[in-house]
Amino acid sequence: MGKRANWVAMAAALGLVGLTGCAVGGGSEGGDGNSSGGDVTLSLLTFETPNLTASYWDDIIARTSAKVPGVKIKKLVAPSAEQRNEYARQLDSTGALPDIMVAIDPAGLAEGGKLAQFSKKELADWVSPTANSFNGKIYQLPTNSQTWQIYYRKAAFEKAGITTPPKKWDDLLAAVGKLKAAGIKPFVIGGGAPDGLGPRWTFSQLVADEVYAKDPKWLDKLVEGKTDFSDPLFVNAATKMKALAGKENVDNLSATYAQAQEAFLAGKGAMYPMGSWFPAAPDKAQQKQIGVFPMPTQDGSLVVPTYTGGGLSVGAKSPHVAKAKKWAIEFSKLNADGGARYDGLFVALKGYKPPSGLPPLYNTTLDLYNRAQSSGTVTPSFGNEGGVPALPSGFIPKVDAALNDLLNGRADVGKFVATLNKQFKELSK
Amino acid sequence: MTHPLRSRPGDVAAGGVPRSGRPEPTAAPSGRTGGPRRRRTWTWPSAGAFAVFVLPTLTVFTAMVLAPILWTLYIGMTDERATRPNTSFVGLDNYGFLLGDEEFRHSLWNTVVITVIVVLLTNLLGLAIALLLRRQGRLYSLLRGVYFTPVILSAVVVSVIGRAILADDGLLNSTLVSLGVKSPPGWLTDPSYAIYSVSGIMVWQLLGFAVVVYLAGLAGIPAELDEAASLDGAGPWQQFRAITWPMLAPALTINTVMLMISAFKVYDQIAVLTNGGPGTDGTATVAFEVIRTAFSEQRPGVASAMAGIMLVVVSIASVTTLKLLQRREVNL
Amino acid sequence: MNSRTPWVRPLLATGVAAVFCLPLYVALVNAFKTSAKVVGSPLALPVPPTLDNIEQVLQRPDGLFWYGLVNSVILTTLSILITTVLAAMSAYHLVRSGRWWSRAVLGVMLTGLMIPPAVIMLPITRILNAIGLMHTMPGAVLVNVGYYLPFAVFVFMGFIRSIPRELEEAAAVDGAGRIRIFWQVVFPLLRPASASVLIFLGVWVWNDFLTPLLVLGPGAGNTVTVGIFRSIGPYQQDFGAVFAFMLLATLPVLAFYLAFQKHFVRGLTGGATKG
Repeated sequence: MGKRANWVAMAAALGLVGLTGCAVGGGSEGGDGNSSGGDVTLSLLTFETPNLTASYWDDIIARTSAKVPGVKIKKLVAPSAEQRNEYARQLDSTGALPDIMVAIDPAGLAEGGKLAQFSKKELADWVSPTANSFNGKIYQLPTNSQTWQIYYRKAAFEKAGITTPPKKWDDLLAAVGKLKAAGIKPFVIGGGAPDGLGPRWTFSQLVADEVYAKDPKWLDKLVEGKTDFSDPLFVNAATKMKALAGKENVDNLSATYAQAQEAFLAGKGAMYPMGSWFPAAPDKAQQKQIGVFPMPTQDGSLVVPTYTGGGLSVGAKSPHVAKAKKWAIEFSKLNADGGARYDGLFVALKGYKPPSGLPPLYNTTLDLYNRAQSSGTVTPSFGNEGGVPALPSGFIPKVDAALNDLLNGRADVGKFVATLNKQFKELSK
Repeated sequence: MTHPLRSRPGDVAAGGVPRSGRPEPTAAPSGRTGGPRRRRTWTWPSAGAFAVFVLPTLTVFTAMVLAPILWTLYIGMTDERATRPNTSFVGLDNYGFLLGDEEFRHSLWNTVVITVIVVLLTNLLGLAIALLLRRQGRLYSLLRGVYFTPVILSAVVVSVIGRAILADDGLLNSTLVSLGVKSPPGWLTDPSYAIYSVSGIMVWQLLGFAVVVYLAGLAGIPAELDEAASLDGAGPWQQFRAITWPMLAPALTINTVMLMISAFKVYDQIAVLTNGGPGTDGTATVAFEVIRTAFSEQRPGVASAMAGIMLVVVSIASVTTLKLLQRREVNL
Repeated sequence: MNSRTPWVRPLLATGVAAVFCLPLYVALVNAFKTSAKVVGSPLALPVPPTLDNIEQVLQRPDGLFWYGLVNSVILTTLSILITTVLAAMSAYHLVRSGRWWSRAVLGVMLTGLMIPPAVIMLPITRILNAIGLMHTMPGAVLVNVGYYLPFAVFVFMGFIRSIPRELEEAAAVDGAGRIRIFWQVVFPLLRPASASVLIFLGVWVWNDFLTPLLVLGPGAGNTVTVGIFRSIGPYQQDFGAVFAFMLLATLPVLAFYLAFQKHFVRGLTGGATKG
């Protein structure tokens, strides 16, 4: 490289520095591309799942922006759906919390003053505006409800000679035995790296039955230090978890969420403990082959863990909080039908009527939820309690990892409980 | 990457002596500087020259490396975390906590396992392949290129390829299934395999580096030495023990130190392959834990103490290894 | 493996290399296959080859590849040019002055050679935030320059020691200032060292993941290497498209490497011989 070339390169380099004060912007722009004088650009953190694809987001973003003039959206996508909470916090740590975020657990961020508060007026259109309350303050739109239950393959039950879905815990154990005798893996759960969250969808149902249904104030006690995870109620849930879903009972414990779902839809395993968003996944034929029942309890009573919230949040330090909120609220209303159809959400808007033609499994799951509300017990869902008292920020990934160890046989119930106690103590400091 | 660790005063080293036949502007630089003649005509006393030539470098280095190191050590002695409004100085509390923390010790252990595997296996395979390729000709220079390609790929690229092959439903397992293996192992998802899979992927990527360094070392062994040995009736093994291996001492030093540094800082591979799992810290290394704890869990105090421990471990390990191997070079 | 069986070594060498190559082969051929074929026959040659995957990457609606490419080129170019110039200048001064403080500067910079970047990332983000360069291209360039300077300085120092002083002294007698002497006399002589530094840093900066991920952040767009990470969500089953993305992301650095290959291997092996 000659001397002249060097000077040219230097000059070019300096020129580049001058030209590119910032990097080239990435991400797609929603809405109309025309940027007129009053436009603001807001960043929106989303995530992609088998249900919520890139084009799904692009479509709803474009539709929302069409209704909120003057806002352009820059879509950011979390590296994975399960890591979206960690990712949002990573962005916050580097000073780049997005303006708007989809379904980010507010715990920690809310208390730290990082999220904008929604007013009563802004929440007026939702059924339970106080869900997810942080001492009366709301940081995430309560747009929908979700429940957790067990989906099962009717043919597998028939083949194993199980005539009706189990209602009591002992019936469930018997069913597991019959399925194994018939050469069918009882469960598909997943839980492998890198997402590793499958087992919690089973465990939250057991915690609902054994802990929250028996002591609705258990989380308050935990947070106040009046109990810990070695509480007999919680130990019961963990013991049942190990008995039910130890690796001998599960199709492939190291499958990722997506692989597990694919395996269950492909006919592997008999039962799939999952959230109410699952009904959006099976195709028409599969809808008929799959049924649903609540996690059996010791005495056969009906308990369903549920969570209301899950909507959008707005960063408090956004330069355009008001516009961001407006956009978020508009998005939530426009997304209602799509959320129900493509993500199985139970929309929590006042007077909302789901569109016709929703998957049959969506309706059966919704019936189950309604039945639990009228004649059973609805509890918080472990790991998705919402609001305060809250599990400390960062605790749930630790639970997921510990559950994986429990089911793999790397930890027994004692060690599992001890790990949670230690992590809880450290993260609550 | 190699020379800085080896440059000694008077070393030819570095970018290498210009060997091309191109005429240099005037006198071609000789291999070494002349004797210790004193020069009086031209000295560098002025602070002005220092300001122009060194200060920019020193400033950037201080701002982006030195100050961060010191700052990390300071943050590590505070209880800073996102959920706490006030931060206070806690001395060595974080260090005490970490040394008793099973999760952190596990990540330290993972780092050690990966480092040991990467250093030993890459050196061993690299040497074997270098011996195999120790010939002239088009085939051999082509093969050298083949081994070197992964070295210039991003760790992200290599990890994605590794994931495509080793995933539960990846190419390796689907091949095994079609060969009749009923339930092939979860290479990346089974806690008893994952750490070895990650190490194996690193060995694969770094192998070409070791091969090229060993080949250069082999090229530096005078042919007469080998000839003399075989005339003395030495077999290949004796020849290797007596001549080749001792003559490769500098290459071994470079490879070992470089592989060690690469293994200590492994982050990208973990992020792409396992995200630290399976389970609690199946493959999380210290570097991975530092980033996760600092940025995702927002516990800068504890994370910085981890970084402090890592700094100590890296410094001691690399300086000790370097000294030991260099002393060995001298003794041989 | 002796003269009686001359075919053993080439055969063995080729065989081992073929096994070693398998992952590269898999990535390469599958970039030119349809998804169905990637899953069905991953090892087969892509006959007939399809360019669908490549097109899909180039035409991604979010422009992930193109934005990343531009950012990677800017980041890499600026980082390596600035590092090379700064390092050459300071190495020259440090070698020629030989004062105690040069040795002190050197000792301090030695520490920088072994530091895992993860260890100092948190304070770096704070410093950048404080000076307003977080999530900007200049900020990322600054981080790279600082991190790679020690390496470059050491390479240049080793080389400068091998250059005689006479030329500089002659120029000084002619009345040239130090800066002019450096640029007109010394720097051209450093060409081989500069080439080594440029190529090493070029490959490292292009391939870097952690720094752009955190320092460039999501708002400002990111590099191709981070783009690869983004393009493989856990639900990404379409490995053909991922391989195509990786191939395109690697081509520039591969071309760069091939162009400067000689310097790369020479730089790498400079110290590998005994003596």
